[in-house]
Amino acid sequence: MSHSAHVAEVIATRMPEGQAGVRVVRRHHLLVRCSHWLTVPILLGLILSGVSIYWASPVYHHKPDLQTGSSDPLADVGIWICAHVPGLHHYSSPPDWLYNHTSLGPGMLAVALRLHWLCAYLFMLNGLVFVIGSAMGGGWRSLLPRLTDLRDSARMFWYYIGVPVAKLTRRSWMHPPFDTKYNALQRVAYFSVPVAGLLSVFTGWAIHKPMQLYWLAAIFGGYDKARIWHFRLMWVFILFVVPHVILVLADGWDTLRSMIVGWSTKAGRSEDSLQ
Amino acid sequence: MKNLENEHSELEAANTSSTASVSPRKPASFFQERPPQVMEVAPQLLRHQTRRDVLLFGMGAIAAVAGGGFLLPQATLESLGIIHENKSWRKKEWLLNRALRIDDDVAEALYSRNRLVPTYTKSQITPLRNNYNGATPDPSYIPEWHLTLEGLASGLSVSLNIRSLLASFRVHEQITRLVCVEGWSAIAWWAGLRFDDLLSAYPPMSQAKWARLESSVNLGPWRNPDPYFVSLDLSTAYHPQTLLATQLNGKPLTVEHGAPLRLVAPVKLGLKNIKAITRITYTKDEPADYWAKRGYSRYDGI
Repeated sequence: MSHSAHVAEVIATRMPEGQAGVRVVRRHHLLVRCSHWLTVPILLGLILSGVSIYWASPVYHHKPDLQTGSSDPLADVGIWICAHVPGLHHYSSPPDWLYNHTSLGPGMLAVALRLHWLCAYLFMLNGLVFVIGSAMGGGWRSLLPRLTDLRDSARMFWYYIGVPVAKLTRRSWMHPPFDTKYNALQRVAYFSVPVAGLLSVFTGWAIHKPMQLYWLAAIFGGYDKARIWHFRLMWVFILFVVPHVILVLADGWDTLRSMIVGWSTKAGRSEDSLQ
Repeated sequence: MKNLENEHSELEAANTSSTASVSPRKPASFFQERPPQVMEVAPQLLRHQTRRDVLLFGMGAIAAVAGGGFLLPQATLESLGIIHENKSWRKKEWLLNRALRIDDDVAEALYSRNRLVPTYTKSQITPLRNNYNGATPDPSYIPEWHLTLEGLASGLSVSLNIRSLLASFRVHEQITRLVCVEGWSAIAWWAGLRFDDLLSAYPPMSQAKWARLESSVNLGPWRNPDPYFVSLDLSTAYHPQTLLATQLNGKPLTVEHGAPLRLVAPVKLGLKNIKAITRITYTKDEPADYWAKRGYSRYDGI
């Protein structure tokens, strides 16, 4: 990118005379840090209660199984578990095993709905905090994907795949160079999360108020399709969180700490960093 | 101890005057990423602030785990082995019910008596399941059936049979979607009288804001008598698409679908669409509701 993007400028010093200071770079605005960590329990609450709501009327079905008569793939999983896991052979209702042992538990629609509304309103407020924080800190600019990100993120993906192999075989494995706050793959990932959040809110309203907001449901292809989109968006979050947590932990304390304290000691960009 | 952020802004203010003339910054495009802001901080100050922030974060995490665990349903906590006896926390119920009320208030604010719900064509009709909670009543109640109206402006109690209802009111048709709280929905072709027309013919008492609709023939899961009752705000009752339906898909209602008269209020969740109505009472205060008593919301506007 431009020259100014990678020239770090010391904008402030706070040092007693004659003592060496630590160079730190400001990474995350306070409001962004708050909304980042608030998202963790809120999203967990939304997923747990959301799956319980899904249990009340599952969407995905297949042709009835000749042996069990079940057309519900999740019931099939329960039947399989009860047949193959020792100690579960005498479980009273194998098709319900998965439903009874995941999410909030069985027969939880009313409580799940209450929890889902509470978390959904908090999620929307929290999203607002994020928007304000990234507008105030100007951080939204680092999240904007660029045209070159398609190729560069493929490169980054290949790099991440190769890291464990390189570590095991003790070969050197070069980090693709970049001179921005985030690398291309991070940008694509971190940009998709707020977009998925926004779409979750819209699909959520579309299925929550399909009559008063029928036009919103129509945008997503009608009530039934909006339900499926809302469900799929949950998977976007899950598929983001797993590699996100693994990569942050692999990258080390500085990266994790920067989301707590706001600054990082990685003032210059080190090429061997996992980021 | 000063905060790093405050310090930064103070020092930046002090610095701009001295450095601005030395290194004038090129104006970047609005969308272009800004250069990172680097500060030089005394190690002691940095250690102190890191300790403070990490401790605060840890306390927040503990609070989140405790608060999250507190909000989980009773049965979930029991199955996880976290609690062993039946404890009910009034504050938790208060908080969750508050969220439910806020959501109901939002639904009420979104509702408009003049906004019509989408209608469909006959080719879009889908099968409608018999969703009687428990068991379908025995059809023997149908010949004796009559509708009782109470809470009227006249102060009288009115009893109407299906013939007089069909003779005195115009029948309207509509193909609308019925949405269940569980998430499934069905498109059905309904015909019946408008609730609005019944309200004009038999006006409720002037202070009335609610209608209580009751079905005395409803059965519980063991075929025990289990009267079903819903609360309906009169604003919804006046909606032009709120019908007291007598027909489904061109045929008189069957016992599975609430013969001879049921409520079809497409602006409400399916659970408000009470079948086999036997009594309508207009009230000043919000009446009880079968599913609201079981933890669902009371307004249920969609």
